[in-house]
Amino acid sequence: MSTLRNEDFKRLLDSIPCYITLQDKDLKILWSNEFHRRDFGEPEGYTCRDFYNIDSSKCEICPVHNTFLDGNIHSKEMTLITKKGKRINVIIYSSPLRDENGIIEGVLETAVNISPVKEIQKQLIMLGQTVAGMAHSIKNIMMGLDGGIYIVNRGLEDKNQKEVREGWEIVLLNFEKISQIVKDILYCSKEREPNFAVVSPNKIVSDIYHLFKDTAARYAIEFKLELDETIESAVLDPDGLTNVLSNLVSNAMDACKMDIMKDKHLIELRTKKGVDGATVFEVADNGVGIDKELKDQVFEEFFSSKGDKGTGLGLMVVQKIMREHGGRVTFRSRPRQGTTFVATFPKREMPQPAE
Amino acid sequence: MPKKILVVDDDPSVVKYLTAFLEDSGYETITASNGEEAFEILKSERADLVTLDLQMPNETGTRFYRNVTKDKNLKDIPIIVISGLAGRHLAVTKPVAVFDKPVDRNALLKVVRETIG
Ligand SMILES: Nc1ncnc2c1ncn2[C@@H]1O[C@H](COP(=O)(O)OP(=O)(O)O)[C@@H](O)[C@H]1O
Ligand SMILES: [Mg+2]
Repeated sequence: MSTLRNEDFKRLLDSIPCYITLQDKDLKILWSNEFHRRDFGEPEGYTCRDFYNIDSSKCEICPVHNTFLDGNIHSKEMTLITKKGKRINVIIYSSPLRDENGIIEGVLETAVNISPVKEIQKQLIMLGQTVAGMAHSIKNIMMGLDGGIYIVNRGLEDKNQKEVREGWEIVLLNFEKISQIVKDILYCSKEREPNFAVVSPNKIVSDIYHLFKDTAARYAIEFKLELDETIESAVLDPDGLTNVLSNLVSNAMDACKMDIMKDKHLIELRTKKGVDGATVFEVADNGVGIDKELKDQVFEEFFSSKGDKGTGLGLMVVQKIMREHGGRVTFRSRPRQGTTFVATFPKREMPQPAE
Repeated sequence: MPKKILVVDDDPSVVKYLTAFLEDSGYETITASNGEEAFEILKSERADLVTLDLQMPNETGTRFYRNVTKDKNLKDIPIIVISGLAGRHLAVTKPVAVFDKPVDRNALLKVVRETIG
């Protein structure tokens, strides 16, 4: 490249994908590059603060001002709003523009859009919190496991069969809980194709019922099964359905446990026929219910109202599995009265092997 | 007369564990599965010490702690917090001791012995 002309420099500055402005001592914008004008409009004549409409408290530390004072490069993170009303996170660098005598004539402000980086940062923070949350719920379960083992050993020493059995049940219960967390993590960490098969929905629901029956009894929750016997078969992923149901049932049990208003608690597990040959599963409880403010949050990943006893993965996994099936999960709830979750699996034909 | 310990936790496995262990160590135990129930019990029954899970639903653990420490008849009952959140932002001040879950039962027994004999 030989000598650059003035217009070349202008084109050069215009095509840099950063927001560049030149400001004077009063922080008035003297010039801006094309990229800046595209997203923010014509700034000439405005001060920086008026142009971006920045809260004065945010301007207390001003990198441009500081550069005028000490001639060094300064930086700062800010949120700006584009002319289309979009919020973007930027990091701002201010650098001095000197004349031939070294006097600072103006300050060049270069703002780089770091919104995508911020987004990733947010996700990493969330991930960190989830892992920590998961570690805490697993620690709780480990205490249960310790307890079961202690009771088993005690029963063995006393040659007390009943106690051994009781301890063993505690071990199994807590083992189930850890398995569920591990399954949930696996389900949400990878894309998996459902393994469609012809199954008996009533059979799978009955299995779940038997799996949770003792636990429900432990918490003095009445547990009922209501099967539509006319349902014969459905094409779905049996592991997926099992996971959906066990998440919904354990949430229902938690909801009953958390409710200290009612004396009697009840959970009902139902199968029904839906429209167009769909198969419907319902889990109804008379537990704490879901507050209106929380309605939109329950399906969000990592949302849990159970402190260190929840992971917030369950419903997210349920929703994922339902989507993979082309189905959906909904709920109706009355705060302090109870909640019914409904999972609808659409009718599906078994894919025919090619001849 | 053996000293009596009130065990408060919403997880029946944990309650079973702590009561079995404390009874094996020579203490009498009573139990509650939430803070509300625990506070009711303390109104009618004497306890020499309380083990408390702070992380119970509806904040009943934290509320229980506040209620006990504010009650002039109950405020001297020593409380040992056993919680999966030990070491993090505890919502209460000055329990006798704080244990993380899963609890080291021998360390727990040591504190119980030091506190009530
Ligand atoms: N049957 C229910 N009754 C009341 N609240 C529920 C019910 N099911 C789910 N929730 C709410 O949704 C939240 C998220 O559930 P989930 O994703 O399974 O996570 P976790 O069970 O680990 O908290 C729960 O913490 C609870 O607040
Ligand atoms: Mg759950």
